[in-house]
Amino acid sequence: MGDKKKWFQLDLGLNKKQPNAGTCGCGKTSGGCGSHAAEPPKTGHAISSAEFDAAVEQELTQETMVGQTRKDGFQQVFDVKMDRRSAFRKLTASLLVGAGAVHTSCSVTAGEETKEKAQLDWEEQFKGNYKLMTEEEKQATVDRLVRSYQLRKKENIKMTATDASKDVLFGYAFNISKCQGYMDCVSACVKENNQDRNSEMQYIRIHEMKDGEGFKFNEADDNYYHEVPAEGHFYMGTQCFHCDNPPCVEVCPVEATWREEDGLVVIDYDWCIGCRYCMAACPYDGRRFNWSKPEVPEEEVNKNQHYLGNRLRKKGVMEKCTFCVQRSRSGKDPACVEACPTGARIFGNLLDPDSTIRWVLENKQVFRLKEDLGTEPKFWYFMD
Amino acid sequence: MKTFGIVCSLIMLCGLFSCKHKEGEYHSLKEKIEEESKHYADPGISSEAYIGDINTIEITEGEHTFLIPERKSQIKSFACTECHSKPLEQMQNEPGEQKAHWDIKMNHANANAMNCATCHNGNDMDNLHSLTGNTIDFNQSYQLCAQCHNNQVEDWKGGAHGKNIGGWAKPRAAFTCVNCHNPHEPQIASKWPARFNTEKVKERK
Ligand code: SF4
Ligand code: SF4
Repeated sequence: MGDKKKWFQLDLGLNKKQPNAGTCGCGKTSGGCGSHAAEPPKTGHAISSAEFDAAVEQELTQETMVGQTRKDGFQQVFDVKMDRRSAFRKLTASLLVGAGAVHTSCSVTAGEETKEKAQLDWEEQFKGNYKLMTEEEKQATVDRLVRSYQLRKKENIKMTATDASKDVLFGYAFNISKCQGYMDCVSACVKENNQDRNSEMQYIRIHEMKDGEGFKFNEADDNYYHEVPAEGHFYMGTQCFHCDNPPCVEVCPVEATWREEDGLVVIDYDWCIGCRYCMAACPYDGRRFNWSKPEVPEEEVNKNQHYLGNRLRKKGVMEKCTFCVQRSRSGKDPACVEACPTGARIFGNLLDPDSTIRWVLENKQVFRLKEDLGTEPKFWYFMD
Repeated sequence: MKTFGIVCSLIMLCGLFSCKHKEGEYHSLKEKIEEESKHYADPGISSEAYIGDINTIEITEGEHTFLIPERKSQIKSFACTECHSKPLEQMQNEPGEQKAHWDIKMNHANANAMNCATCHNGNDMDNLHSLTGNTIDFNQSYQLCAQCHNNQVEDWKGGAHGKNIGGWAKPRAAFTCVNCHNPHEPQIASKWPARFNTEKVKERK
């Protein structure tokens, strides 16, 4: 593992929190006084040999036992309807009928595939926190996930690990006078981000509110079904606001969620332990917890994926809007922005003085929700 | 030796207070955006590939320069004079059915304020014309809209009204008015939402 640790430990308060090095007392995770950025790796106990053996034992049992019900983490991602042994048996049987002569060489290949799968699972199981990975390590885990998908589903996906670019800070503006409540954005988001079809998860909510009464989220309806826009109502969308000073990040005990340099607040699904602290800390209802493994029909899977974005997640982890990191980092608009038929959604680079988002911020009466909390959401509302 | 000491203490002082001057530390997002965009350099991300096969033309309006879709090549059987070879009255009174434009409904302001001739010129069918009779190219039809809907057009130029083509990065390309609004019936129709969440209904019972 080298001397630099690649994981964060569960912080149960046993190790007293280190006082911040520089005494700036800004109390922010965002941007950062050097003290946040250059935090030394936390020290703690190394995995004992007994624990190591136990983990190995567990991994091996999972690999060989048939019909095992309790599957963990990464395993679930590639859970296939047929268990591996019967699949293998069927495969061999059909091969024997068809081309008996080549069956020996084929079963060798199948055996090698099983081995390769086991090897990939093994390496995935013991990888570190994405945030601490080097370029090569990031690429390696992406390559493993792509290969695993190929081995298990016989389909190719494209997954990237594109990092934040310098001089980019993503921001979003929402025109309340334009939104008509069509929800085309919600549909586009579900498709783009491979969200669970069974539980009908949706990162975006569109709230129908009564004119002239301000924002009353309690009285608003976010699941209306009638012709829109309805007389006497207005519509506003909410999702993760990618706060520049995100409280959700602060509470995560394993640092599985963080703010990237371009302002995106992301989650390492393979590092998240599903404690849902972040969900409780978010003042904007921006996070979604999946209680079951996201199910997406194979032909509907969006195969253009990013490690921190829309890749297929496992059960029991936190998910949310990532401003479509798989699209935005390569110059596309998020799927919701592209899908909106009214042009109510505006996205762009806050650091570019010539960008449209900057023009909106400088020329329109913009405001954000719960501004007094100091969370600094990068999501503004405005009216014509 | 003394100078060495001073230098040392200076370095220590700098170390102590450097947090205040660290690049990247700001007290508000607004300040951060202002400061960091002062030395903004293009990140080199391009949206060009996503514009696809839409033909575009570049327009400059005030301080804004951007691309909009070229229009004339998209109009079926342009130039109009290919059919409009004689004056309108003659064509309208020809025996037989009306051959074209039978599906156009006018639902844009009221008949006192607007009719066909407000934008179209019966004597020059290949161009549009302004309220004062100036010629306006079909590719620049937004100039017609701007005569009445000035606020919307100003917002559109800045980027607060309308939609991007491609993505947020350079080059900036935007749909023009008539890409979303039918100029003869500009109001966008009401419709049913794209989805209804049955799971939410169950959850909230
Ligand atoms: S909106 Fe919620 S989930 Fe998103 S960054 Fe802010 S606090 Fe975190
Ligand atoms: S649920 Fe949230 S707080 Fe808990 S580990 Fe996952 S990202 Fe961190």
